Amino acid sequence: MPPDTDFVFRDAVRVLKTTGKRAEDLRQLRDLIATASKECVFHHTCQYFSKGHILEYTNDFAQWAGESLEESALAELLSNIDPYSFATAEDIRGEFLKAIDYYMENFPQTRKVIPGDEFHFIETISFIFPVGMRARNLAEFLMALKYIDAKSIYYHFFEARVRLGQAVDDFSKWLDEVLELKELAGKIQAIDPFMHNMEGIREHLIEIIEEGLKLQMRAAQ
Amino acid sequence: MISSYAGISPHSDLVLIEKLCEALSGKSFLHINSTKAGGGVAEILQRMIPLLSSLGIKTRWEVIEGDQKFFDMTKKVHNALQGNAEVITDDMWEHYFEVNRKNASKIDLGADAVLIHDPQPAALVKYRKTGNWLWRCHIDISAPNPEVFSRLEPSVKEYDSAIFSVAKFARAAAIDEFIVPPSIDPLSEKNMDLSDKEITEVAERFDIPLDRPMLLQVSRFDRFKDPIGVINAYRMVKKYNDCILVLAGSPATDDPEGEEVLNEVREHAEGDPDIHILLLPPFSDKDINALQRMATIALQKSLKEGFGLTVSEAMWKGKPVIGGAVGGIPLQIVHGATGFLVHSVEGAAFRIRQFLNNPTMAARMGEQGREYVRKYFLLTRETRDYLALWYAAEHRDKGIVFELDPPMQKFTGLKKS
Repeated sequence: MPPDTDFVFRDAVRVLKTTGKRAEDLRQLRDLIATASKECVFHHTCQYFSKGHILEYTNDFAQWAGESLEESALAELLSNIDPYSFATAEDIRGEFLKAIDYYMENFPQTRKVIPGDEFHFIETISFIFPVGMRARNLAEFLMALKYIDAKSIYYHFFEARVRLGQAVDDFSKWLDEVLELKELAGKIQAIDPFMHNMEGIREHLIEIIEEGLKLQMRAAQ
Repeated sequence: MISSYAGISPHSDLVLIEKLCEALSGKSFLHINSTKAGGGVAEILQRMIPLLSSLGIKTRWEVIEGDQKFFDMTKKVHNALQGNAEVITDDMWEHYFEVNRKNASKIDLGADAVLIHDPQPAALVKYRKTGNWLWRCHIDISAPNPEVFSRLEPSVKEYDSAIFSVAKFARAAAIDEFIVPPSIDPLSEKNMDLSDKEITEVAERFDIPLDRPMLLQVSRFDRFKDPIGVINAYRMVKKYNDCILVLAGSPATDDPEGEEVLNEVREHAEGDPDIHILLLPPFSDKDINALQRMATIALQKSLKEGFGLTVSEAMWKGKPVIGGAVGGIPLQIVHGATGFLVHSVEGAAFRIRQFLNNPTMAARMGEQGREYVRKYFLLTRETRDYLALWYAAEHRDKGIVFELDPPMQKFTGLKKS
């Protein structure tokens, strides 16, 4: 049995489940966001980064507002919300409701989408599993980062922030709490999650860990 | 067999499949549909069944038998569930239920999980014995002909859960409903890599010139696939860009309308030597593969669509794609990123011209499309999802988050000594 202090790389796979709830206009969207389960809120707001930055907007609500409601200003407003800066799904929900309420105060008359373009609220069943790589120290951590699936980086770097409820990622948490490398942990926390795709995040992580390793080696000499 | 997908499918999908198969090892999984050949369902099953068997799951695939009257009726049901006006008499329904009853007496329905594909065998659920029964609906039933759906609905409600390809296809029912998009197999004859020689051989056999850009639509000859609209779009393009059009499709044993539509298409294309209409026999997968690889642009200009897997097939081959914004096509084509979505013949013609005149953009979207398919539309992902749903059904009491061994670490308070 490996020690609990090893970093075990994991991945999460989600199978989608319909809730049967759908919105035809902004008012309905707002009311359904207010009552949706936290898994539902998480699914619609936190999956953008796993999609390779190819969508126009950064979450499903913004995407629907822009593409189906054709409310570009609202889409931009919602797209600017960083779900990973909030500790819980409840906080994320609150921020989206605040943005929609603000928009509806200024533009109270929103239209219905064309039939077939409704927003469907989805929940997920999650499977979390180790992908067969673990790290005991910084060098092993670096090697794993180079070869691990981008999806696994997504799980530890993005999803962890909401899962842990501390707006912190698994990597920096391990570096801080297990290896006691606070400075490196701080550098990882400073990576802007919004401005990079998964490969960009990987490059930054590798760069930071390589630098940390060099410092460790110099200190050991 | 699963190891053949290493380096092709996402690693984590393969890991999860193995873990779920370990957990479900020795259990039995029965698939039932209505045709061995033709259409996306049969193609997926041909590949998935051996894969599951190789992983220790006792997997069977049964096909229901029916006469012409049955398949004529189920085609009408298929169309009606997608919103078409169809007249289906009580006598037809009686025959439908009778054919299902006869099949139930011939097929061993005992299994730990039973996946029934589409409406044709849906009424088999009445004769369920043990295990989890899932109805896999590949078509869009979001706005069905209500009278027809009301006859099918009692059967649907007898399942433990239903699976749809796209969220908007689902219809609120009293059972759990899941979303599992279909998939393509990168190792099948239809999608594996081909040599230039193999591609040229197919072009020569079908007398297709390779000296000009080629537009291709691969689909059944079905009005919902709008083959006439494709010819009209090609004719608009032809005023500006010299090109050829290939319409290729296989007949399906459960589709009696195919020949009628094929004749309409032939008539519409008459007199144009640059339109090639190919009626391919079942199991022409390698020929379709070669046609997709020789194409400059792949089209799927459907008006109604189940999912439209030919889009993913073409994307997997790095081709720029143009698809109707219906059914599952928008799930595959992210407009402007992995291809273009269109809503009209004119839209299709315009996007074809854009691709033909900007090969750099076409190549970029083709490459993005391939990676998108790798992530979301390969057979291993669909296999993974079925196993996951089955596993979740067997562990219903454990909630909706499954941590597969070992459990998550909580680093807090732990220091490396």
